[in-house]
Amino acid sequence: MAEPIKLAYFMAVKEGASYLGGLLVTDTSGIPLDFRYTEPITPTRLQSILYGKSLEPHLKEEVIQKTLLKELKTAPDLFIISVTELAGGWSGDAKYPVLAVQKSQESPLAKVGETFRAGPRELLLQLTDGSAPLRVVFAASVDAITQEQAVLKLLEAGYHMDLVEPMERVAAALQSLVVKDS
Amino acid sequence: MFGRVKDAMADATETLRRAFTGLKVTQVTPEPFLSKSHGSVALAVEQRPGLEPPVTMRREMSLLKEAVQGQTLQPFPCHLMQEAGWAKWGAEAEVLHMTPLEKGRAARITVPPLPRKARVLGRVEPPLRPSVRRIADPVQAPAARRLDPDLGEGCAVEGQEAMLSLAVPIRAEDIQRLPKGLWMRYSLQMVRGTGENVRNLEVMGLFRLPRKGVADLRHDPAQGRILVRLEAAAIKSPRAPFILARRKDDGTLLSCFVEDP
Repeated sequence: MAEPIKLAYFMAVKEGASYLGGLLVTDTSGIPLDFRYTEPITPTRLQSILYGKSLEPHLKEEVIQKTLLKELKTAPDLFIISVTELAGGWSGDAKYPVLAVQKSQESPLAKVGETFRAGPRELLLQLTDGSAPLRVVFAASVDAITQEQAVLKLLEAGYHMDLVEPMERVAAALQSLVVKDS
Repeated sequence: MFGRVKDAMADATETLRRAFTGLKVTQVTPEPFLSKSHGSVALAVEQRPGLEPPVTMRREMSLLKEAVQGQTLQPFPCHLMQEAGWAKWGAEAEVLHMTPLEKGRAARITVPPLPRKARVLGRVEPPLRPSVRRIADPVQAPAARRLDPDLGEGCAVEGQEAMLSLAVPIRAEDIQRLPKGLWMRYSLQMVRGTGENVRNLEVMGLFRLPRKGVADLRHDPAQGRILVRLEAAAIKSPRAPFILARRKDDGTLLSCFVEDP
């Protein structure tokens, strides 16, 4: 029996002057297998000055993401981040295929499983009948072959679950943790 | 009467004509009239004193307080000087008598030693050289402090409990894509499980749920999914097909787990 697919959803947010991140691993039903978050990291004024504009990317990619990945017991099959993070030039860990998923307003493709490539790193994927296709954007580090393999996994997971929804759960969980801490 | 006056007037006229006949007439170019303004000096009033009465001034003669004693002229002394040398030089010779050396009258004279080193006078002394002093206490090097800009590693916290508090949406599987034999098997199990006539049941969907640990379940008909709230036991529990149906006659929801072959 094949190993069930695991999807990792990563999100890092800034709350006030602090940064914190969360990593949710789900199965193909969207059921949470593991969820970890970092305690808020508040850079000092000196660190903010010394790091400058690279502070936020460094914190998200080098500190928060690596810390959370280190804590994972099993490696995820896909590492999903928000479109905004990916558009900002994500250069994090390339051990897993890094991609972003987003609901689109495009017309449904002809059949389930069909893809429409909008660019070398971007494609539309039809997951269910009649619905708008899913927009998938890969990180620059993901080559074409890995992209094809990732699409197959997305198809399998998308049959059972909403691939975009878990990211909303991570955001909600982080928000609740921030409120609880403050 | 009028005739005389007339004659007198004629005579006067003739007299005047003759008087002015032959006068040389010189045409003079009239100078342009220039108005010159001359400022007048203001009258000054000079004050002069009047005659002053004679003033009698009293003057005092001060006596000499320190008398200076004057010296009277001293008489110039006169000396009669004689010079007989020249005369003797030319007239006579002086005989010198040498005293013979006598024994015991000789005196021993100690000759002082010559100085070994001549003393140079008038030597210009060299200028004084500044003395070099060494500062014993050097400037202390500033102490360097290290402020570590390293952001360190974040601390990961296990937050599964917080995540399980959120509802998990489970999407219904497409029954049409199931093998027909499998769906018939599921239907049979549903009828057995609910005890309801299959014709009176409307299937809402087939979901894959954990067998254990489902704390709450809500149906979301708008999106064809169910929202479940899970407990920790659900994570490791195996998934099983779960059928949600509605009774056609009264709309009651029915559900049951079915077994995979």
